[in-house]
Amino acid sequence: MLPPFGLARPRSVSAALAELDEDSVPYWGGTELLLAMRMGLIRPRQLVDLKGIAELTEVRIEDGELVLGAGLSHDEVARDPLVAEHAPLLAYAEALVGNARVRAQGTIGGNLCFAEPRSDVATVLSALSAEVRLVAADGTDGADGTDGADGTRERRLDMAAFLLGPYWTDRQPDELLVDVRIPLPVTAGVYLKYQTVERPTVGVAAVARGAAGCRLVVGAVGELPAGFDFEDVASVDAEAIAGELEPTPDLTGSILYKRHVTAVFIRRALAELAEKVSAP
Amino acid sequence: MTDSKMKAHPVFPEHSGKSFAGKAVLRRDLKEKVTGAAVYTVDVVPPGCLHAVVVRSDRAHARIIDVDRSEALAVPGVVAVITSDDLTGLFPRFGHIVPDHCILAIDKVRYYGEPVVLVIGDDLYSASDGADLVRIEYDELPAVMTIDEALAPDATLVHEEQYASTGDESFSAMAAAPDDSDTALPATDNITHSHELAWGDVQAAFAASDVIVETLIHFPMLYGYAMEPYNSVAHFTDDGLHVTSSAQHPYMVRTDLARVFDLPLAKVRVDVPYLGGGYGTKSYTKLEPLAAIGAWITKRPVKLVVDVEGAIYTTRADAAQTRMRTGFTSDGVILAREYEVILESGAYADNSPLVLAKAVNRAFGPYRVPNIAGRGKSVYTNTAPASSYRGFGAPQGALAGELNLDQAAEQLGLDPYELRRRNLVHPGEEILPGKRGIDADLHADLGMLEESLKRDASDQPMHGIGVGLAASDAGAFPVSTAIVRIQTDGSAVVMSGATEMGQGSKSVLVQLVAEELGIPMEVVQVVQSDTGAGSYERTTGASRTTTLVGLAVQRACGDARRKIAEMASEIFECTPDLIDHLPGGISGPDGLSATFGEVIQRWFGAEAGEVTGVGTVRREGVTQKMPPFWEVGVVGVEVAVDPETGFVTVEQLVTVADVGFAMNPKAVEGQDLGAATQGLGYSLYEELVYDGPQIVNPNVVEYRVPRMGDLPKKIDTMIAQRGDGVGPYGAKGAGEGALNPMGPAVASAIARATGKWPDRLPLTPERVWRLMNGLPEADDLG
Ligand SMILES: Cc1cc2nc3c(=O)[nH]c(=O)nc-3n(C[C@H](O)[C@H](O)[C@H](O)COP(=O)(O)OP(=O)(O)OC[C@H]3O[C@@H](n4cnc5c(N)ncnc54)[C@H](O)[C@@H]3O)c2cc1C
Repeated sequence: MLPPFGLARPRSVSAALAELDEDSVPYWGGTELLLAMRMGLIRPRQLVDLKGIAELTEVRIEDGELVLGAGLSHDEVARDPLVAEHAPLLAYAEALVGNARVRAQGTIGGNLCFAEPRSDVATVLSALSAEVRLVAADGTDGADGTDGADGTRERRLDMAAFLLGPYWTDRQPDELLVDVRIPLPVTAGVYLKYQTVERPTVGVAAVARGAAGCRLVVGAVGELPAGFDFEDVASVDAEAIAGELEPTPDLTGSILYKRHVTAVFIRRALAELAEKVSAP
Repeated sequence: MTDSKMKAHPVFPEHSGKSFAGKAVLRRDLKEKVTGAAVYTVDVVPPGCLHAVVVRSDRAHARIIDVDRSEALAVPGVVAVITSDDLTGLFPRFGHIVPDHCILAIDKVRYYGEPVVLVIGDDLYSASDGADLVRIEYDELPAVMTIDEALAPDATLVHEEQYASTGDESFSAMAAAPDDSDTALPATDNITHSHELAWGDVQAAFAASDVIVETLIHFPMLYGYAMEPYNSVAHFTDDGLHVTSSAQHPYMVRTDLARVFDLPLAKVRVDVPYLGGGYGTKSYTKLEPLAAIGAWITKRPVKLVVDVEGAIYTTRADAAQTRMRTGFTSDGVILAREYEVILESGAYADNSPLVLAKAVNRAFGPYRVPNIAGRGKSVYTNTAPASSYRGFGAPQGALAGELNLDQAAEQLGLDPYELRRRNLVHPGEEILPGKRGIDADLHADLGMLEESLKRDASDQPMHGIGVGLAASDAGAFPVSTAIVRIQTDGSAVVMSGATEMGQGSKSVLVQLVAEELGIPMEVVQVVQSDTGAGSYERTTGASRTTTLVGLAVQRACGDARRKIAEMASEIFECTPDLIDHLPGGISGPDGLSATFGEVIQRWFGAEAGEVTGVGTVRREGVTQKMPPFWEVGVVGVEVAVDPETGFVTVEQLVTVADVGFAMNPKAVEGQDLGAATQGLGYSLYEELVYDGPQIVNPNVVEYRVPRMGDLPKKIDTMIAQRGDGVGPYGAKGAGEGALNPMGPAVASAIARATGKWPDRLPLTPERVWRLMNGLPEADDLG
């Protein structure tokens, strides 16, 4: 059962930052956090509910980037007109996350910070070369980043630097993930996933790069999304890539089977990408 | 006045002009369930209620050396920390067939998840904090986790003593064996129960067979997922013990509780508000004794609610390993079937002996089998105890029986419909000697099935069709009672011990009373499932409510009408034969007539009083022959298999609900589609997986149940109504039929798509991929 905890409800980022420490943690949809608390895996003294901070749910274009507030739910991202226009691949993937409850309640920030390996969001954002912006109150000994506005310190990390392992990110306890930034323009891409239970077995994102190349990211199957860049899509050896990965066996598949379906989905994704790129 | 003096005058002629029965009426419980107003057991919290948390074993098999409760007792708010040592003076076990099930583990634990200690607190927080601080010291024992381990010659015994268990039919009318703990014999093996079925000369028949086909198939360990996990609240008053619980069979729970506390049955009251699904998993006793001992010790109301994990470690369905061998003539006529069903039944017997008997009865199917030798064993293991699950042995048994026919069809060069037709019994033919003949036209049902499947069949590669038939000796032991109370305003209260568990019985009982008394449904009220205020019902299971409770209600209405007629003849000062039935009233001599309300008021001489009609059902008359009815299952699927991943898509689902008379066709369709979907669940997705002592997926995120997105592309649920049941207007039961033969239908469809015959369910994508590629079930990673 859910253990007792305190609840802070800040109305601004700076008020939220003042509340954060090892034992006082950010809380948005709670789809992961509350489950972990119910199972007794963590027992924080206080939850800092971010739902009252309006600026964390904004979508805007800024300096050639699509900026998505960390508190946007999967549904909100999937339905946002700016996302649909500038990063349709992300909108598509978000519409397929988990189930209706998770999409309505879970956020992109929560998804990335929890770092459950079987994520669609991290895979697609890796393929789109997205970065996260982390902010902490100034004067704290958190990160060695640049100074942010209004007495805060901030830093930007790409997915590879941010995601360190299963349920493990480089976020420090005093830091808030405020937004996700996707460099524009986004080129043609596809996302295909193989999912037989609540979470994906493997997700493959492929984004066109240069004349014939692509950036390929394989997620959910191993501990971290694995990215590959190719000059020529035609030269990609799906079996070889799958062979390099270390799938995590679970009830949806053994290592052997997961390797096999990974190769299948890489092939299918690249075929679909080729079709998309060649289409007028 | 005797019956013979009454004019024979059915209120409504057979099968025609019915006003309420046979109509797709809106469910009585629909609105309050959709709006959340409906009361379930979890909503019942008596004043001063304490809350209990169970401390469960974290070993599969271990001797309990010591339980240290001091730290738990020191937690503020903790009221009691109870172990089996505290139950002196009580009968510390339960079980309706063999009372082998410890309320709290005694001396040793027999499975991971077994309740060892009950912590009771002022609120859930204190109780669960206390539960975290109970220290149990164990001495590990070797564990038997599988059928093979349990049956090995030198296997450790799960139970050291043998408990008497009875044969099928009714398990001596299902009464629990008397307490035999003083005289118990030492056990020599882990066999819970055995069952056999034999006739003819199997040896000779196999010798004469042209083709012999053998099948070995595994049925998975399942959880009959109901949205509401088990929960109970108990308290003692000067009137005795009162338990409110999520129980399908409150009267059978009452018997177990009366034995535990040595109370007269009348002093134990068990009532059941709405039940959030059951699927057999809420048959018989579950948490009620735990809540009740908590109340007994603390002398306060105690509430116990478990989550899905706690529910899975309370009851799951029997896994099975079944071997089926059939001998045929060269043109596909069955000469003999010989088979063995072994159930993996977990740490306690619960209902597994009966599930076994039914699995053996239901394995060979609705066919003419001149020679048979069927055997079954239910085996104790150190896993969560298994008990009833929708279909009751039929899914386990029919899987082998039907799949074997499909393999035979391939070898004999016959299509699956034709092979079945050559052996299928006709209406009235017996499949179990001396039992009721089949009360269904399976040839006609199979024709409907074939027509629908073929109409939309695709001839693309990697597509396959599979069909399955099954026949279950259903209805359980026919004992039922009902009370109908007609009020001074002509409205009526019907009382039944049958539980509304989502299947829609509440509406069916209303329809019946309205029909029989000729009154609007709006003025009929139902009181269900309360042993202290209502009418007796043995069980709500075996698809029996519409048929058997229906008969009891029909008879109660007849009894009430008879009494009204008697009263009217007194009022009109005429002979009873001059009284005739009208909807909602009677007619008398000289054009006189009166409503029920008028008769009651005039007879009592006041605007007061009521008329009580009582109806009973027992093994007599139409329900003399066992089983009361056969529930047949008639299903077909078309699947498409992804050749690269092994992922299965169900393209077509076709079912025929052969129900005699559909009291509420919408409810019948719902039951059939629900049963079929649950059948797709165990065929394609569902399986509890043990890794070491413990289940790795004891939750519904990882235990994969069917979801809306899995629904087949085409669904055709047909209803066959031929009035051939013993129930009201020719009704028979529904609700299990389509589940029972779904496994073999899916398995054979996949076999036809891939060219390979599977040997286990569920056919998850990886299993199908391994099947297609000739790979073993698991890789040797060593
Ligand atoms: C049944 C189920 C199915 C799922 N299926 C999928 C799927 O198919 N694909 C997929 O990608 N995901 C899936 N998920 C994961 C889902 O996407 C995440 O649960 C969700 O997005 C997390 O967001 P939240 O707002 O609920 O986070 P919370 O549970 O509120 O928080 C999660 C963690 O992130 C921290 N946190 C939250 N917001 C911030 C912030 N702004 N800054 C710093 N730290 C923060 C919290 O402290 C906590 O540690 C599934 C989850 C469930 C339960």
